[in-house]
Amino acid sequence: MFRMPIRERSDWEAMADEYGFKFHTMYGERYWDESAYYQLSLKQVEQDIEAPTEEIHQMCLAVVDAVINDDQLMRKFCIPEHQWDFVRSSWKNGDPSLYSRLDFAYSGNGHAKLFENNADTPTSVYETGFWQWLWLENNVDSGVLPRMSDQFNSLQDKLVNRFKDLKILTPGRELHFACCRDTEEDRGTVQYLEDCAIAAGISTRFIYIEDIGRDEEGRFSDLDDQVITWMFKLYPWEFMFQEEYGELLGKSNLRWLEPPWKSILSNKALLPMLWRMFPDHPNLLPAFFEDELHLASECGALIKKPLFSREGANISVVKNGSEVVESDGPYGEEGFIYQAMHLLPKFGDNYTLIGSWLVDDEAAGISIREDSNIITQDMSRYLPHTILS
Amino acid sequence: MKRSKNINLERMRKVPEKRFKLRPIVMGVAVALVSGCSSDKQQVAVVKSPEDCAAKTELTPEQCEAAYKQALIEAERTGPKYTSRQLCEAEFGAGQCSPNSTGSSFIPLMAGFMVGQALSNRGDSNYGSYNPVYRYQRPFSSLNNQIMTSDGSVIGSYGQRSYSVSKSNLKPKPTVTKTVSRGGFGAVASAKSSWGGGRSSGRFSGWGG
Repeated sequence: MFRMPIRERSDWEAMADEYGFKFHTMYGERYWDESAYYQLSLKQVEQDIEAPTEEIHQMCLAVVDAVINDDQLMRKFCIPEHQWDFVRSSWKNGDPSLYSRLDFAYSGNGHAKLFENNADTPTSVYETGFWQWLWLENNVDSGVLPRMSDQFNSLQDKLVNRFKDLKILTPGRELHFACCRDTEEDRGTVQYLEDCAIAAGISTRFIYIEDIGRDEEGRFSDLDDQVITWMFKLYPWEFMFQEEYGELLGKSNLRWLEPPWKSILSNKALLPMLWRMFPDHPNLLPAFFEDELHLASECGALIKKPLFSREGANISVVKNGSEVVESDGPYGEEGFIYQAMHLLPKFGDNYTLIGSWLVDDEAAGISIREDSNIITQDMSRYLPHTILS
Repeated sequence: MKRSKNINLERMRKVPEKRFKLRPIVMGVAVALVSGCSSDKQQVAVVKSPEDCAAKTELTPEQCEAAYKQALIEAERTGPKYTSRQLCEAEFGAGQCSPNSTGSSFIPLMAGFMVGQALSNRGDSNYGSYNPVYRYQRPFSSLNNQIMTSDGSVIGSYGQRSYSVSKSNLKPKPTVTKTVSRGGFGAVASAKSSWGGGRSSGRFSGWGG
């Protein structure tokens, strides 16, 4: 695995306009960065990332099954008790999922180590599925990159195929897509997934989360007063559970993407549960609940993470019993978990994190982000990659 | 090759004008119809065959035969479709699924169709639809042995003399309703994004991760 400098395509910003990629630069800083790319071998991709991704996903599903059937664990995962039936029945009925992203530390050698699972609201799907794909096509066509260059990225094909399956599993319904107002990145992500659904022949609509309404029977409605019967929401389950309409969840015939059981996987309590159920798995870092810290004595430094958090917020490092706050943020009131500290690999001045995508239960590609800070925040840059064997 | 092969660049381009969207013009009427009724619930019988229909409802044998045929057509059009017999039988029980007429997918056998008492007397062509129902059979599922319409709406457990169903179960979708409030989702995100924490840029991009 190498970090290779490369000339930027001269017209990429014009192309970004043409294809509607609006958040390549955010708050005056570069997010999409094609001044370099990462080159991996096919063996690194298939053996070190693709196979462990699918294996860990199955392990995660085993965790869901264990938690669903245990009141004590449901409490440990901070799933509000009034939502237990909703979460449990979605699992027992086999409600289908669309996608997720596992984040790994991987240097090109040894085992990729799982940092976390973004199973409920993963983003950077457009940059991965389409935009880095286009970057490779352009650079191969112009002869800058060798003909035989490939990319681990069947994400868009797999998303469209998955939507075709979901259409059959959810007959006769329109699919509403939703995200919050005032977030260009989320809006772009949801637009991309809506485009994939349309390509699969699904009839779609869009609504902002804040605009969702309810009728007297407790069914959700859109701005045209149409009853919502199938919804993709880029909005965390743990937020919805505690909001005003949370009490209506599960009361009407509405299918959700991601399904409610994903609230167990997007929860950092997943990490200590994985370690408890699959101890010493080569792709896992030791992880512990607050009341298991006595088991962590030989781990050295620990990273303390809030149960619910996004984008690396509210992280501290615990070393010899003292705690140093590394990042501030609005999370943490639900408690914390501890994960053995494992430094991200460094390429030049950059710390690099690999996101490995799953569509349903199939590995579907990778995204690479780097940051000059050791803890990957949402200021990180997105870089494309190639496979060259 | 480990990358996508079917990306259509033309379709990925974003044209400036918004996509054309058909807006129904009779919305007010539809809402008035729903809210004008004293009750949205309707009593229906679930019958298994034309004979069962003639015995249990006020429809004539000829009307029952026609209703049965219509329900079969509706089942073909709107019924749940599966890519394999195995997937279908996992939800509706062994021997309860068959290929559809084109052979492209498997559909569960219709457990019966709904006949509304009040509907049959009205002679109103808008209500002359006889929707198929299915018996969900998946042990340990909370839905086991429930009777549902083709979009998965449960109307009651198997074997009842009559079912109280909402009219939306008897009509074609999508359903239009009367919204009584909005804004019940989004409060937590709003509270967290107003948080003025220590990130140097104060950048807020979204709730994804």
